[in-house]
Amino acid sequence: MPDFRSAILERLAPLHLDPAQESLLAEELAQHLEDRFRELLAGGLPPDEAQRRALAELEDPGPLRTAVRAAPRPPSYALASPAPRRDNVLGELARDARHAIRTFAHAPLFVFTVVLTLGFGIGANSAVFTLLDTLLLNPLPVPDPAALTAVSTLRGAKSGPAAPLPVSYADLADIQTRSQVFSSVAGYTSVRPVTLQTGRGSERLFAEFVTGNYFSTLGLRPALGRFFLPEETTTAGSSAAAVISYSCWQSRFAAAPDIVGRVLELNRVRFTVIGVAPPRFIGVNAIFGPNLWLPATMAERTLPDEMRNVLTDRAKAVFLGVARRSPGASLAQAQANLGTLSSALAREYPDTNSGHTFSAQPITAALFGSAGAGTEPFVFAGAGLLLAVAIVLLIACSNIANLLLARASARRREVAIRLALGASRARLVRQLLTESVLLGLLSGVAGLAIGYAGLELLWSFRPAEVASNFNTPALDFAVLVFTFAVSLLTGLLFGSLPALQSSRIDVAEFLKEESHSAGRARARVTLSNLLLVSQVAFSFLLLITGGLFLRSIARAANINPGFDVRHLAVLLTNPGQAGYTKPRTLAFYDDVRARVAALPGVVAVSWASNLPLWGRLTSGLKAEGYIPQTKSDSLTAILNTVSIDYFETAGIPVAEGREFLSTDREDSGPVAIVNEKLAHDLWPGQNPLGKRIQLPGENFWRRVTGVARNANYSSLAEPPQFCVYVPLAQNYSDGMTLYVRTAGDPSPLLASLQREVRAAGPEIMATDVRTGATIVGQALFSARMAVGLLTLFGLVALTLACIGLYGLMSYSVNQRRREIGVRMALGARRANVLSLVLRQGMSLVAAGLILGFAANLLCGRLLERLLYGVSPADPLSFAAAAGVLLLIAFCACYLPARRASRLDPLAALREG
Amino acid sequence: MTPPPGTPDHEWKKGSAELLVLSLLEQEARHGYDISKLIETRSAGALRFHVTSLYPLLYRLEARGLVQGCWVEKPQQRRRRYYSLTPAGRKLLRAQRKHWQNFVAAIGRITGIEYA
Repeated sequence: MPDFRSAILERLAPLHLDPAQESLLAEELAQHLEDRFRELLAGGLPPDEAQRRALAELEDPGPLRTAVRAAPRPPSYALASPAPRRDNVLGELARDARHAIRTFAHAPLFVFTVVLTLGFGIGANSAVFTLLDTLLLNPLPVPDPAALTAVSTLRGAKSGPAAPLPVSYADLADIQTRSQVFSSVAGYTSVRPVTLQTGRGSERLFAEFVTGNYFSTLGLRPALGRFFLPEETTTAGSSAAAVISYSCWQSRFAAAPDIVGRVLELNRVRFTVIGVAPPRFIGVNAIFGPNLWLPATMAERTLPDEMRNVLTDRAKAVFLGVARRSPGASLAQAQANLGTLSSALAREYPDTNSGHTFSAQPITAALFGSAGAGTEPFVFAGAGLLLAVAIVLLIACSNIANLLLARASARRREVAIRLALGASRARLVRQLLTESVLLGLLSGVAGLAIGYAGLELLWSFRPAEVASNFNTPALDFAVLVFTFAVSLLTGLLFGSLPALQSSRIDVAEFLKEESHSAGRARARVTLSNLLLVSQVAFSFLLLITGGLFLRSIARAANINPGFDVRHLAVLLTNPGQAGYTKPRTLAFYDDVRARVAALPGVVAVSWASNLPLWGRLTSGLKAEGYIPQTKSDSLTAILNTVSIDYFETAGIPVAEGREFLSTDREDSGPVAIVNEKLAHDLWPGQNPLGKRIQLPGENFWRRVTGVARNANYSSLAEPPQFCVYVPLAQNYSDGMTLYVRTAGDPSPLLASLQREVRAAGPEIMATDVRTGATIVGQALFSARMAVGLLTLFGLVALTLACIGLYGLMSYSVNQRRREIGVRMALGARRANVLSLVLRQGMSLVAAGLILGFAANLLCGRLLERLLYGVSPADPLSFAAAAGVLLLIAFCACYLPARRASRLDPLAALREG
Repeated sequence: MTPPPGTPDHEWKKGSAELLVLSLLEQEARHGYDISKLIETRSAGALRFHVTSLYPLLYRLEARGLVQGCWVEKPQQRRRRYYSLTPAGRKLLRAQRKHWQNFVAAIGRITGIEYA
């Protein structure tokens, strides 16, 4: 093609036009001449004749000159004049938005890709935020939760996990009457299982016993009916009224409009439903709440054994306090006031209250009480998840930024012209950012939907039979604001880099360059490379973290919890709640043991009051030779009431002394078995056998007859705790857990176990029939969930990074077609080309891996405390993560590389 | 076909050239070469614009707000500058067309040339 451009520029030179204007003019005219030239050529003219004729069009440039001169700013640049004054910023924004929407309409695939990619990123963020919002930020749907205070007994120096300890009913009543800082003090028990008798059989529900002012202290209004009246909650056993939870009303009672006034028979006591609690309220619990609330005055009638003298006995602390501070009273004042009150009560009731100090904490401290560990692990896990999804979103952003960069290079001419026409760079950046912010917001809408659907899916994995007891993550205003902010930020984030870069085009240089501007393409690739390397690093980080937690969980599932998990089956019964008397209950226990022992495959059978890994710490234990250091320093231990053969059945060896025998009867000398931790800590270097201990609530001493090995009682991760076992014969309980030890896999036996229980007591429910492995699995449920999410996010991040890698490699191969063509023409073989492209891609991946590796070593310190039995530098996790990443990244590079190696060199060269 | 400036032919053509260009842009946006080709082919070669007269004309029309030029990029092609009619251009085209018809009819009545 002859160089018409130079010919034109030569003729325009005397006009002394602005270089940019001149260049545009020349471009337009040169195109015209080129078209003419081609046409003449096609008409059969020889090239030099065709060129001469085309150039003849330029003869007599007079009119051209006059026309251009006549308009000092030639008409084609009229657009260049800055926006008229009357346009304000808003009008400009609206115009930019309209322009952006028009642009989108022309590129639906582009918009779809962006919205889907970012939608997943934003969706993950809003899902995790919703979870945190529900559990941590806004778990208690009551007015002014900041003024609520958790009132609990302060734990002694031997403090374990920071869950609040309960207070007795009488103490709470005194706090209510004497305190100067609280306008109202209420109490509630932890969630207790109760049996609902219906015409069709029995069913388990969960209840909390609450003081009469519970709902008014929290400031709630009933969704239906009313809450407790003062006269309903003053005298013990007086009024059997019940308030049911909203979700229980919805699911269990199918939202029956006539629910108020219905009679529910709970543990053989007839309760009348008087009201329905407001939606989302599940008590002072963040995760798991009751189905119904019963008056504290009914506690003893409903659970006679567990709640004996609960209203009067100050040693019986089963209530957690929730108090609303008077306006103006601070938490510190409340704490001081409670301190004074504790000493006053200790003086008045030295037997029960000496050494008891009540503490005031923000109500959030009590919300995770049922989880046993306070808020900290949830905050930590939440922060970790939030970080993980932020990384996913970042990767999504950088992918889109890369996509925009590619688009921007296609739009360079548009940008160059607009700059040449006088548009300011700020104006241009604003226009490009409007586009990306609009895309971000669009993705935010998609993200909200994806996030909500994901959360629904996640939440659907909760155990079905107690689904209505769980808190439900809800889309609220905070989530909407969060998602909006994230979307806005996302738009600015992925848009700003490409916008700044594309607006930095040097107009003159660009317009002088011909269509292939190698230098600029290289600069773009460099920026993209940088983004890509960090993507790989981030996804590597997530993958390793996921891998570490996965290993940590596998370790935790395999650790020895101190009892035999593999050959164990358990089930819960509660003869007391079925109305059984003590002799009948004991006969039932014996009958079940005999029946189950006769089943084939059963090695040993026993009863115990504690479910494995569900033990609760009790304070107030006294031991011979143990002198409390301070008044508040009381011993806390796990108490377990067990029948004979327990240690054999559970697989907990008795190291010293003897097991319980049938000779340990109600009328024989009181005995107890302690665990090694207790024996070693309290009586170091002494023979524990024959030492004496006293259980809280008992006024006699028990002789230690044996020492059992330590086991895990409340959780898999707990530090060794004190534990005391007492024989069933000497400490009657009307609800027990059946432990069955089998020769092989216990799962096939579960059905026959239930059958035998029903045969021994047709009215008695066997609930929570599980194998030991299931129990351990459930103890790891929340950890598994977190790890599942983390791994999922890691894989999403990896997928996004590899899509980015694939895109970049394809783009680069396309850019280098000519170069590759030349190489092949010069003798490079397909294998050479393949390795050339692969090397280019994989070196980026390697750089990312190294970066991610370094980042991981830095983060390792943070992770250390969350991992169980795995080092943060675990080589296996690193190797596995690196392996997965390399494999997928290789595939992402291989496809473009193969395409490059199959290039037809001739075709590639011709195209150039 | 570039008569020397100042001759009647030149002035006459200048007036009609505007009408020609505006008419060609009535249905769709076109680039300069397209316009020049169409004028040539539709007039069976009788009318032809050179680069040096066509583009100044287009710029003038654009300066008067009758057409608007816009760079358009199409895949696999170089970008080109397309011109389209503005609403003002459309209005003028209608007026000129009417005016031209009247003019031709008047000429026909005087010269006895039958107006087809």
